[in-house]
Amino acid sequence: MDTRVELELREVSHRFGLRAVFENVCGTACGAQTLVVAGANGSGKSTLLRIAAGLLAPSSGRALFRWNGQELDAVARREHLGYVAPDLMLYRELSAAENLLFFASLRGISPSREELISMLAEVGLKGRGRDLVGAYSSGMRQRLKYAFALLARPPVLILDEPTANLDDAGVEIVRRIIDDQRVKGGITLIATNEARETAWGDTCIRLGSQ
Amino acid sequence: MGRHVHTAGLAVAAADPVRPSRPGWWRQALALTGKDIRAELRTRVAMSAVGVFTFAALMLLAIATEQLRDAQAVRQTVVYGLLDRQSVAVTGADLRPAWDAVGKMGLLWVLLSFAAFSGLSHSFVHEEETGTVTALRLSAPAGAIYAGKLLFNLLLLFAIAAVVTPVYMLITGMPAGTPGVLALLMLGGCGGLAATATIVAALAARAGSGGALYGALGLPLLVVFLLLLLNAASGLYTVDASVVRIIRDVGGLFSYDVLIVAVSALTFQYVWEE
Repeated sequence: MDTRVELELREVSHRFGLRAVFENVCGTACGAQTLVVAGANGSGKSTLLRIAAGLLAPSSGRALFRWNGQELDAVARREHLGYVAPDLMLYRELSAAENLLFFASLRGISPSREELISMLAEVGLKGRGRDLVGAYSSGMRQRLKYAFALLARPPVLILDEPTANLDDAGVEIVRRIIDDQRVKGGITLIATNEARETAWGDTCIRLGSQ
Repeated sequence: MGRHVHTAGLAVAAADPVRPSRPGWWRQALALTGKDIRAELRTRVAMSAVGVFTFAALMLLAIATEQLRDAQAVRQTVVYGLLDRQSVAVTGADLRPAWDAVGKMGLLWVLLSFAAFSGLSHSFVHEEETGTVTALRLSAPAGAIYAGKLLFNLLLLFAIAAVVTPVYMLITGMPAGTPGVLALLMLGGCGGLAATATIVAALAARAGSGGALYGALGLPLLVVFLLLLLNAASGLYTVDASVVRIIRDVGGLFSYDVLIVAVSALTFQYVWEE
């Protein structure tokens, strides 16, 4: 993976009604970099990540996503990113394997049975692919979100509270995913208020500290 | 590796990513419809909502029809008894509710409309309530989502109409008229109703206001839809109605279908994206 992808936050501000969540946030990340967004609860970390992912339009400023020098709009960039967040849920009435197959088909990927098993094993869900997601624990659901995010080997990973609900083994898997992303030259954007996760980043944007 | 996921996704280093090309929107729509059908067959949430409503409505209709039969039978016995000094056996055809065929057709579609509005909203509201909407937005464009949801709602409504209509005809004695025209009417009606319910459900779900907005937005569209449908039904039951009239009346209904689908498809992406 060459340094073909670049993420830039250019004077991004967002308001919910009259309340300004954050103002004029700037930051850049390009190949093999990990950018951490830190701040207290309610400082707007998740909102900033949604803006970066193209899921939310900022009140002002721009979140730019360049792929091979070409700027991608909010919808087009989604093809190139994996997203894990507390507000992202998978279908409880489907099994883990059915969820992955469904989202893979939407993305134009057709993983074989072996690939699916391998994918689940990588996030620590070996042998649980046929279980309904509704029967999963919160930690298992978090692991499945990583399998969902990595479906298309995206060059950009956006992780909101990356280790929420995970045990030590789960945290180790996340750390490995971030390391692997770095080795492949991809970008990782993390929102956290945990000191341990802040240390995973190359650069850090602190919200609520202006 | 083309369109296949890398087997050792997390362990592979320095692999140059080959972006999978997105499938056509209609393939994505079919995948979404398939997922909705699978989920519905497991949870039966929409089918339960629609089933309970239609069963209750048909039961009430059957009871009301029975009471009407009794009252009509007594009235006819008295009338004929006074005239002929004897009781007259009353035939089944005489014992149906006194509404004309168009009135019965109108009542059928009122029933189907309420059934549709109680069940078809589920597909969007459920995505919003359970938080799966974010995963969907990340994985497919708005056009494919709209088409997939519309197709699912259309199939669900066809299934409802296929069960409800014969039972309703049995209870009320609604005539079939010309079968081909009736089939066209049902097709156009289901299409219009599914399209209306789908876009209104999407608006209500995204606005987060649930039922209130659903009713407020749905009612004006529903009135127009029912007026066009009854207009088409009047042609169905007119003896010796000309082909031109039938085409004009049924064409009006299909025009509504095309219009509502086109407007919905254009507006949906603004509804879908925040």
